[in-house]
Amino acid sequence: MQKLPNDINRRSMLKGMGGIGLAAAGAGLFGLPRGASAAESLNYMCWEGYNAPSILDPFQKDKDVSIAVDLITDSAGGFAKLAAGASRDFDLVSSDSPWIQRMGPAGFCRFLDDAEFADQYAEFYPQFQAPFEPLQFDGKATGLPTRWGWVGPTVNTKFDKLETWSSYAPVFDSAYKDKICLLDWGDWPIMPLALYAGVNPYEELDDAALGEVRKVLRAAFKNTRAIVGDLAIAQKGLLDGSFRALIGGGTYCTSSLRLKGHDYIQSIVPEPKDGLKQGIIWMEATGLIDNGKNSQVAADFLKYIVSPEVAKHLAITEATCNLVPNAKAEALFSEEEKKALQMDYMWTAWDNSQFHTVAPNIDDMLAIWQEELAAR
Amino acid sequence: MKSQRKTWNDPVLVAAVMPLALVMLVFFLIPLAMTVVLTFQTTQYYRLNWTWDLKIWTEIFSKPHYWTIMLRTVGMALICVAISVVIAYPAAYALTTRLKTYNTQIQILIIFAFLTDAVLKTFGWILVLDRNGVANWLLSYLGFGPEALDILFTPTGTMIGMVYNLAVYPMFTIYLSLARLDRDLILASYDAGASRIRTFFEVTLPLSKPGLYSGAVLVFVLSLGAFLEPKVLGGGTSPLASELIRQSFETRVNWPLGAALTIVLIAIGALTLALAAGFVFRRTPSRRGEPA
Repeated sequence: MQKLPNDINRRSMLKGMGGIGLAAAGAGLFGLPRGASAAESLNYMCWEGYNAPSILDPFQKDKDVSIAVDLITDSAGGFAKLAAGASRDFDLVSSDSPWIQRMGPAGFCRFLDDAEFADQYAEFYPQFQAPFEPLQFDGKATGLPTRWGWVGPTVNTKFDKLETWSSYAPVFDSAYKDKICLLDWGDWPIMPLALYAGVNPYEELDDAALGEVRKVLRAAFKNTRAIVGDLAIAQKGLLDGSFRALIGGGTYCTSSLRLKGHDYIQSIVPEPKDGLKQGIIWMEATGLIDNGKNSQVAADFLKYIVSPEVAKHLAITEATCNLVPNAKAEALFSEEEKKALQMDYMWTAWDNSQFHTVAPNIDDMLAIWQEELAAR
Repeated sequence: MKSQRKTWNDPVLVAAVMPLALVMLVFFLIPLAMTVVLTFQTTQYYRLNWTWDLKIWTEIFSKPHYWTIMLRTVGMALICVAISVVIAYPAAYALTTRLKTYNTQIQILIIFAFLTDAVLKTFGWILVLDRNGVANWLLSYLGFGPEALDILFTPTGTMIGMVYNLAVYPMFTIYLSLARLDRDLILASYDAGASRIRTFFEVTLPLSKPGLYSGAVLVFVLSLGAFLEPKVLGGGTSPLASELIRQSFETRVNWPLGAALTIVLIAIGALTLALAAGFVFRRTPSRRGEPA
């Protein structure tokens, strides 16, 4: 065996490495990170983007608080986790608004006093000001709105005219066979297709209406090339033209591409069909979890996350770009960012859309989705 | 030398077995029992109700689409086993014979294949199989026309990903079997006048069966849980059992249903393995003087 120089042998080398290992373990156990030295800690369940250092770090520094993040990949899954007992461990949650709205009556979230957040509401667009109905239960609010956008066909205008997608009809057109991508994001692809079938999925549905949902999903699957859960794959297909439209996504999968210069990618809202608005407004909200601590610093964070400067950071993240309810934040966006967010179109989309709320028959529709996919 | 038969009264044997038994109990049997218990519960308003009920099992046995997906999964797993073994055996055979000089380098490559993240490898295939991908570019260059290959987002794409990610397991187990094979037996077969082909089928193949079977079992079990390949390369249009289970747990937040589907998948997998084992051992002649 080759001898190591300067009297270093294998034993002393291993001793040294062991020492370094112990020191590292000690630092981890007793040490040193900001969490241990911070005066208070918060546990935060949220979607990706809310955890950006540009958002969390200034607050942690300013309030001498450490924030531990638990990312969710599915709103329903996050709700189920809280329901299974995790609500005792968390202080804050950012998720889709129907799930935040449910958390108040379910006992996971504190109801908010709108008066306490009057300054924040005053900065919001009129559409989001108190009392903000989608987050209300029995006249009490659960959480504040934090991000929003619309669900409609996402189209590459190099291949298709926008007018073609003024309806969801091409999803079922044989000319688009194997060119449609449904996004595998829970109920998101089901809702717009149900609306196209003339069924309002946000109302209680009878068997006949569920039968229509089944028919429309079956027809859509015939033309669908892929059901994609990964945003990067969906965007790649859209850019190279192998997908002519993404269904079930909308602004969530558009804006970041537009910001990178692909301004020919657009998400629109189809025209109302038979009196039924075909677009869907989605919204994320942030709530205070009722874990018995009644933490003031958590309430401060809620005010912080909707403030104009932070809202701007929340709007433009690495993975996605989305709209925010704070009207004052609009002045902070550059023209390029406004264009990427399709801000000139946002109120047209709003006016032609349903608001995404709790769908009473969502489990029935998800079961139909599974059945039709298996039979494909 | 006559070996002494050990019994469970032997405290040394019990002490030796205890750690493994404890690990199996804590990390396998108890979670499995909890999963079974979960199947008899119900959910209401996305919360678990601890009420004993057969509702989930009634649903599973009354809805054919669950079984369609389960059978599709087993079918895909069996095809994956067959293709993986067909690819792995000649490769492992070549490694122990023709490519012996590069033994070390090839072993390192196999270890790298184990260490490389499956997510990375699977996503990499998109760049190859896409309509505008490398494979079509090559085929077009060779005169097959544009977009000659259209297998991304199809079950074939899923199978390519599964085989690519899993064939390395039987390659490794078969390689180990072949490497330990006594060369004198092969030479004796040649001395007895057997041809190379006959020697392979009567000496090499039977003696490498342990590696072949263990590799096949590994591929089968891992294929049953294939999640990434059907989702990324299969395009989600022909879902397999793991996706069904994920949807039940995560999207529908129906934990009892997800648990029941998990149990069904384990049961089908175990049954298939038992049938395969029965078939294999029935065909394997017992050694003279030993019970079959």
